[in-house]
Parts: sequence; structure tokens; C-alpha cells
Amino acid sequence: MISIFPIRHHGPGSARSLEHALSQLQPDTVLVEGPSDADSVLPFLARGDMKPPVALLGYVNDDPARASFWPFAAFSPEFVALRWAAQAGAAARFMDLAAAVTLAGERGDDETDDLHSDPLRVLAEAAGYADFERWWETLVEARGDDFDVFEAVNEAMRAVRADAPAPAGREAAREACMRQAIRAAVQGGAQRVAVVCGAWHAPALDVNAFKAKDDAALLKGLPKAKVTLTWVPWTHGRLSMGSGYGAGVRSPGYYHHLFTTRRDVTERWFARAARLLRQERLEASSASVIEATRLANTLAALRGRALPGLDELNEAALSVFGWDSDLPLRLIERQLVVGEALGRVPQGVPTVPLAQDLTRLQKSLRLKVQPEQSELTLDLRTDSDLARSVLFHRLNLLGVPWAQERSVGGRGTFKEAWALAWKPEFSVRLVEASRSGQTVLDAATAVATEAARNAGTLAELTTLLEAVRYADLQGALPVALTALDARAAGNADVGDLLGALPPLARLARYGDVRGRGDGSNVLAGATFRTLLTRAGVGLPLAGVGLADDAAATLRGSVQGADAAVRLLGDPDALTGWQAALNRLADRDDTHPLLSGDAVRRLRDASVLDSAEVERRLGLALSSGVPLEVTAWLDGFLGDSGALLIHDPDLLALLDDWLTGLDAPAFQETLPLLRRVFSRFEKPERRAIGETLRGTMAPGRGVRREVDAERALRAVPVVLKLLGVNA
Amino acid sequence: MTTPDSTVLRQHAEQAYAHELSALERHDDRPRPPRWNLSPHAVLTYLMGGTLKDGTEITPKYVGERRLMEIAVATLATDRALLLIGVPGTAKSWVSEHLAAAISGTSTLLVQGTAGTSEESVRYGWNYARLLAEGPSEAALVESPIVRAMRTGKIARLEELTRVQSDVQDTLITILSEKTLPIPELNAEVQAVQGFNLIATANNRDKGVNDLSSALKRRFNTVILPVPDSLDDEVRIVTSRVAQLATNLHIPAQPPALEEVRRIVTVFRELRAGATEDGKTKLKSPSGSLSTAEAISVVNHGLSLAAHFGNGHLSAHDVAASLVGAVIKDPVQDAVIWREYLETVAKKRDDWKDFYKACRAVS
Repeated sequence: MISIFPIRHHGPGSARSLEHALSQLQPDTVLVEGPSDADSVLPFLARGDMKPPVALLGYVNDDPARASFWPFAAFSPEFVALRWAAQAGAAARFMDLAAAVTLAGERGDDETDDLHSDPLRVLAEAAGYADFERWWETLVEARGDDFDVFEAVNEAMRAVRADAPAPAGREAAREACMRQAIRAAVQGGAQRVAVVCGAWHAPALDVNAFKAKDDAALLKGLPKAKVTLTWVPWTHGRLSMGSGYGAGVRSPGYYHHLFTTRRDVTERWFARAARLLRQERLEASSASVIEATRLANTLAALRGRALPGLDELNEAALSVFGWDSDLPLRLIERQLVVGEALGRVPQGVPTVPLAQDLTRLQKSLRLKVQPEQSELTLDLRTDSDLARSVLFHRLNLLGVPWAQERSVGGRGTFKEAWALAWKPEFSVRLVEASRSGQTVLDAATAVATEAARNAGTLAELTTLLEAVRYADLQGALPVALTALDARAAGNADVGDLLGALPPLARLARYGDVRGRGDGSNVLAGATFRTLLTRAGVGLPLAGVGLADDAAATLRGSVQGADAAVRLLGDPDALTGWQAALNRLADRDDTHPLLSGDAVRRLRDASVLDSAEVERRLGLALSSGVPLEVTAWLDGFLGDSGALLIHDPDLLALLDDWLTGLDAPAFQETLPLLRRVFSRFEKPERRAIGETLRGTMAPGRGVRREVDAERALRAVPVVLKLLGVNA
Repeated sequence: MTTPDSTVLRQHAEQAYAHELSALERHDDRPRPPRWNLSPHAVLTYLMGGTLKDGTEITPKYVGERRLMEIAVATLATDRALLLIGVPGTAKSWVSEHLAAAISGTSTLLVQGTAGTSEESVRYGWNYARLLAEGPSEAALVESPIVRAMRTGKIARLEELTRVQSDVQDTLITILSEKTLPIPELNAEVQAVQGFNLIATANNRDKGVNDLSSALKRRFNTVILPVPDSLDDEVRIVTSRVAQLATNLHIPAQPPALEEVRRIVTVFRELRAGATEDGKTKLKSPSGSLSTAEAISVVNHGLSLAAHFGNGHLSAHDVAASLVGAVIKDPVQDAVIWREYLETVAKKRDDWKDFYKACRAVS
């Protein structure tokens, strides 16, 4: 006897009905839609330490990037059927086309549209339900018999498929393969066969309606690849992703709730929501749970549905718990509707392609994997060492810190030192990382992309950008740059914005240190300019109302940014930046340290002539508040006294101011001034002092006529020093 | 109901749409909650628009998500009070007026919340002449619109709940939870009859001024009215309202150029959303609310400038001044944001050159 159970993939309703039906039917063989060559890893399912969500992973041995996942959650009917069979001692087998065949052909999904992949949802939508699972529930509750529901679905599918074109290509082969598997099971002596398949295929699995000979012909000569199948841990987040390897289940946490909750689904849902909100210290009383339940029920009634679905639950939660923000709903969405959960696979399952890719790379780069630590110094000018460095950086991004960077002595950016030590837990991390990609490159790109999207602060992104640059992840670079741009537009701190400029400038100017990448340079340059514009607009305001230490920090950022702008050498950017510095210096309420610094920078760039600088210096020195004056000087003179030695007019101005102070002010100023001057080198200080003393008599600081004849004698020596052949 | 007088400046919803309400009532065969004039379903049709069986056209009163109106109507049907929250100009009062008109047939049981709203205007006051002459009696009592709504089983409205001081707000708690209002002076109470409910509106820009106590918060279901979803929706709302207002105010200018309206709405939407329409560039949002209502007033102002001082056609120059005024509410922060917007977004759009210049000239 063959019983066909048309299910909805990852449908908790069908999973529960199926569990019930199986325990009534007690089949001796269970056939499940899934790659038939995965039978070898099926026994792992029965192990107690196998915890869903997990995924069956199949990949082509010599090209691991060609891989397919078949995810299973606790509420997937396929998983329920396999677990049931393992517990009841019934034989369980997959019956779909082998992964060897699926992966050999062109990659393409046969279940492209909604009708193929999820025909039941289309039916539910036709019945006015946005949420299929509640529709199934109303159906089951109305009929009270699980068998009848499966029969009804089968009938509905027959009707739907009667109008659809006959299956062709991959779909035809798949259905033929499933029929052959059923025939084989019956011939093998099975008495009661339970067939679990996606609803769409159910009508095509009637073995009597098709000829075995035709099916065999269809399956003959299909290309095959050498593949490996294994189990990998999976997450609810992965299940909810609509693309890539996700299963398109938007609300796995909600489904899990439906699957595990037998009664009072709505009430329990809101009670869980309330507990969650209380944990997060948000208000959620029992009265609110009652009100939310009432509102969800009324909404469902208003929309002509028997039971509230996820839409009604979310809307009621927003209205009752949310007050005027959607924070509670976002929490509920993340923690309950998706409900992050990580599966676990038992020890002894075959390894993942990422680990194999790493082994291959280790071999080709001649790197030894050993537990004890070893040191390695790389010369990035050679190709093999460069490849090694890139690999280390990528692994670090993947959370596999096999190699850790050490600081290296000597100058030059072409040297890197690493300490290598392999730890057993890295294998586990590799398996985890394999969820992001099948090769080290793919996985690192995916991880970096994800990190760029989730990065909270500008500083994080800047660090990430550097890491991406070192790891040579061309795919992640545009994402990181875009994220940087987007983050900069938010309420970014000007200091952070300025801090992001130097690495961007390096990226735009040099590509990466290793002399690669050109497309990204243009992008980096554009991002740099946008960030610079934003920083320039905000800079004058950022300099207002700062404490001394905050001003010093900002001055450091301005210094870095200034160097970055000059490094890039883009005249437009430079003009814009100087205009911003000018505005900063012009404001009366800017912190004096910063305005002094800005004047100095503008002077160095010859934007301000010396007369203007003197005017500003005089203006700043006349403010009369000693603390402000010294701060200004601190900014203006910076870390070098050379300016004062070589600019006697400036020194004279300063001298006049200092000697003009009255006694108490002088006493107060002296320590501060001393602090400014103590930064200078000792010879500089002495030179300044000598110049000052010398102003009485003609001294060093006074300009004298140059004796051309004597000067000419020095020229050949200078040329020799500079290495010019005279 | 008094007969509508065509010379009044603005008619109540139940007067202006009387024919729609009566047509809906004739065709409504679904169950109605006690003392509701229409079934919840018909109330929804009244708000969202539709065509009745006899061909009567129901105009849409609310342009936006049906979902929100469903929550609002469902809330009132569960006898929970409804609180509409949104930035100014998102049709909160408009929705509350039409809900009350459709459900109870009257939208006039209204208390305007202000900083000076007293307990008397929420509960009851006294006719002091009578009080002195006769002592406390039913006849000396002056009822608030809310008490009248309780006695008659109708929907009462309270505008700008968060402007009202907290101690006055809290007098609502008993009314909403026990559905009764004690009058200790008379040793009596007013018990609400079925059908009574309250719609309050609050402006989420007032956050932190008079926040609702958590006891009161709990009595309300909130519906947040967002700004319009799509650019086209918003342009449609702006052009149709501007046309209405222009006839009212007798502005002689040509109807506004759609391009100019679209540009203003785009600026408003982009600044409000904190990102450009194509989603590629992120922006900062200024402190003002930048609602559709403000976009309408910018266009209107531009129109009258164009009519009285310009060539009659709405140009970038005419709207620039009032646009800048609408965006920059905080002279320090907003000015930076506006400047950044002009430089990073407006400047780069080729067909916005005139607009960019006009805005640079005035800001």
C-alpha cells in the first residue's frame, strides 16, 4: 500500500499532521523528497546530538563552489518523517534525483515560480489568507482528520496540474526518479510505504499512471559528477533568507512556535512577546497581552479569517506594545519571528568544502599545519609570500586566527611577520564559516560584506576597510565603501569622519600596498570626496564648545585628514578642505587650539599670506584670556619651534605680547607657555632664546645681505649631498 | 443634525459626506456593534473609498495603507480607545473626524487639548449661578463633550492629547477603564452606554512634553499614521489640495507645474526619509516634520508669489524662499543639513540646476 503525503516544505502545519498520520499508519518504509545519494549520511539523523536546524550539503569534489543545501528545521515535514522513521525503526530513504546528477548539470532551479515551489500558499492566498499555516490549521480543525487533509490537497493539486503544461526537463526527470524509488521500495518487499513530497509533485507520484519503462528511459544517461554529501549546522537566519542558500522561510521562529504549540497559539505568542519585552526592560503587562489577543482576533474577523495570522499578530503587537515606536516590534521580529537558533551536527560527519579548499591552499602555498607556534616573515614583493599574507588576512576575517600578525622591525610596508599555530577548534570554526561560502575567498567576502552591513560605527568600518584591503577581497570592497558612505551620512561624528579619511586616501592613491586594484580606486576616491565634503561642512561646528582634551583629539584627526587630502592631491578636494579650515579658523567660538592649528595649516599651504597670519596672531594674542591664548599658540606652533626661529616678525609679535602682560597674568601664563615651548627640541628652544636676546644687537634672526661669492662656494657640496652630478 | 449651510467656511464630515453615509447605511447588511451607524466593514469602505452596489461612488478619505485603517476600526470595535500618532500634517484629525462621523454620525463631540485644558473640560463643570442658587444638582452640572458621548453611546474625540497636562490626562483613566465617571458632589455617577469610545490624537513631535502615564498608555491602542508611501501618492495629494485651496483663496496663478511640485515633494521626502529616492545616498534629517501639509503650503506660497510678483508660472525661484523656511527650523543644525543636501544631492542633478541656484541664493 502506498500513501502519498503532499506537504508544504518547512510547513509546521503539515509537519504536525504528518507526524500524526505516520504514527497512525505505521509504515515500514518512509520515502522522502531529497537527494537519493544522501542515504549514506541519513543514519546521523537518528543521533541524539544532531540538533536542527541543519542542512544537507552536497558539493562537487573538484569544484566546491558548486554546492547545494537542503535545509531542515525541526518543523520541516521531511525532518519529522525521517526522525519518526529512525525512532520507529522503519526504513527511511531519499527518493529524489541524486545530488551527483543535480550538481552535474547546469545550475538552475526547476521550482522557479511560486506555484511550483509553494503551490499551497498560492491556494491559501486565493482563499484570502495571507498566512498559509493558519489556513492549514483551520482546514485541519474543520475536518479533524489528518488523512483527509492530505487527500484533499492531493485532489487540489491534481486540479491545478491538469491546467499546467506537462513537466519537462529536470522536473520530469525528478518525478520519474521518485516514481522509480517508490517502485523499488515496493519490489523490495515493503508493505506500507509512506511517500513524503512537496505538494506540487503529489499527483505525479501515482506509480500506476506511468510506465516504469518510460521512467527508466528518462533517467538513462544523465550526466553525473563526483560529489560529497554531509551535514552542516544551519541557522534560522539562513532559513529566512530569500536568496542564496536560504529556504525563503520568512518567519522560522513563528513556524517553530506553531509547530511546538498545540493550543492557544495567539495567547502564547503574545505571552512570549511580553516576556521578551520585559527582559529588555520594556513595558508589557498581562493586560496588554489580553488586549493584543483581542485586537488580533478582531482584525482577523474584520478581514474574514477564522484565525489571526502573522500579519494580524504583528499589527496587534505594534499597536498595543509599540506605543509610538516600532522598537518592540523590531525586537519581536528578530527574536521571535525569526528567532535565531544554531543547529548542531554530530561528530564524525564528513568535512565541508571550505576546509578542503583551505587544505588545498595550504598545500599549494607550502604552509605546514602544526599545533606548536612557528614564526614566519613574509616579503610581500614575492608572489607566493603575498598569497600567504592574503590567506592569513582572509582566515582572520573568517574568525580562524591560525596566523596572528606580529609587529615587524625595520621600515617599509613590504614586510609582514606572522605567528602560526593550529588549534583543534579551528575545524569547527571552518564548518561554521562554511555557511558563508565554499572557498576561503567566497566565505571571507561574504563575512566582510555582512560585517560591513552590520557595522555600528564609522571606526569599525574603517578598520574593516583596511582588513578588506589586506585580504584583497574585491567583492567586499564596494560594499564596505558604500556602507562607509551611508554610515557617514548618518549622525556621524566629525572626528570619526576625519578618521576614516586616511585609509581611504591610501586606498584611492595606491590601490593596495601590493599594487593591485584599479576599479576600486575610483570608487574609493569618490567616497573619499563625499566624506570630505561632509566632514568639511560639519568641521566648523564640531570645533565649538569642546573641552581641551576633546579639542586635542579632534586636532589629531584634522592632522590625519590634512595629510590624507594632500596625499590624494586632488585640487578640488584640497580647495574644499582649505575652505573648511578657513571657516573653522574664522569662527570666534572655535576652540582656540583648533583655530590656531587651522591658521598654521593654511599658512603652510600658502593660502594665507604672512601679513594675514600676523593679523590673526595679533588678534588671537589680544584676546586677554591667557588660557585661550596659550591654547591658540599650542595649536599654531604645533610640535616644532622652527617657525619661530625663522620668522623674526612673528617672534617679535609674540615677544611684544608676552612682555606686555601685567604681573598676575604673566604668572598665570608662564607655566602654560612653558608647556608649549617644552614640546620643542632643546636646540630649537636655545635658538629661540638666542634670537630673542640677539634682537638687542644684530643677531642670528636678523636678515643680512648674502655674499654671492661665498654662497656659490657651498653649492657644489650641497649638490653632492643631494646626489646630483654636477 | 442641523441642516448644512453652504456659506460656512468648512462643513463637518457628516454634513459634507451625508449622501455617502446614508448610501452606505442603506446597503450595509453586516452585523453592527451596538449603537454603531455602520458595520466595521462599511466604515472601512467609507474611509478607503469604493463603489456601492447601486453605483454610489465613495470617495477615499484616507490615501494610504488600508491595514492602518483596519487596525483603527478593529480597535474601536473592541471598545479599546484609539490613539492616532503622527507628525503634524499626516491626517490624524482628519481620520478621527471621519471615523467619528461614520460610526456615530457626529464628529462634534470634541475636546481640543491645549496646555490650558482643565479637568472641567474633560469631565464636567458647574453653572455657578445655579450652583449658588440651588446648591449642587443635576441641573447645575455642565457636561463635557466626553460625558455627553458616554450618555449617548457615541464616539468622543480629544485632539492633541499630549499637549494636555499630565494630571488632566489622567482623569481619563477611570473613564476608559471603568467606563464610568463618578460625580462625588451629587453622590452619583455617569455610566457609559454601549457604543461609547474615545479617539485621541497626539503629535509625536511633542514627545517628552507631557508624556502619557503608563496607566493611561495601557488604555489605548496606537496607530501611527506615516507620511505617504510613494512619490506619486504624495504629489497627487499636494496637487489636489493646492487646487482646492487656490480656488478658496482666489489665487489667480496658473495651476502649478507638475515638475516643480514633484521637485518639492522629492526634497521633502528625501530629507524626511534620510536617503535619496534611489536609495543610494544617505542624508541627515532636519528637525522639522516636513509633512505633506507643509509641502502644500510651500506650493501655495510659491503660487501666490508667482501670481503677484512673478510671471504667473511657478518657478524654482518662487518656491525657494518658502522651501528653505520650511526645511530650516533650527538655524544651526538644520542649516548644515540643508547645505549638505544642496551640495551632495541637488547640485549633482542635471535638471535641478535652476533649483540649486535659486536655493543657494536664499540660504
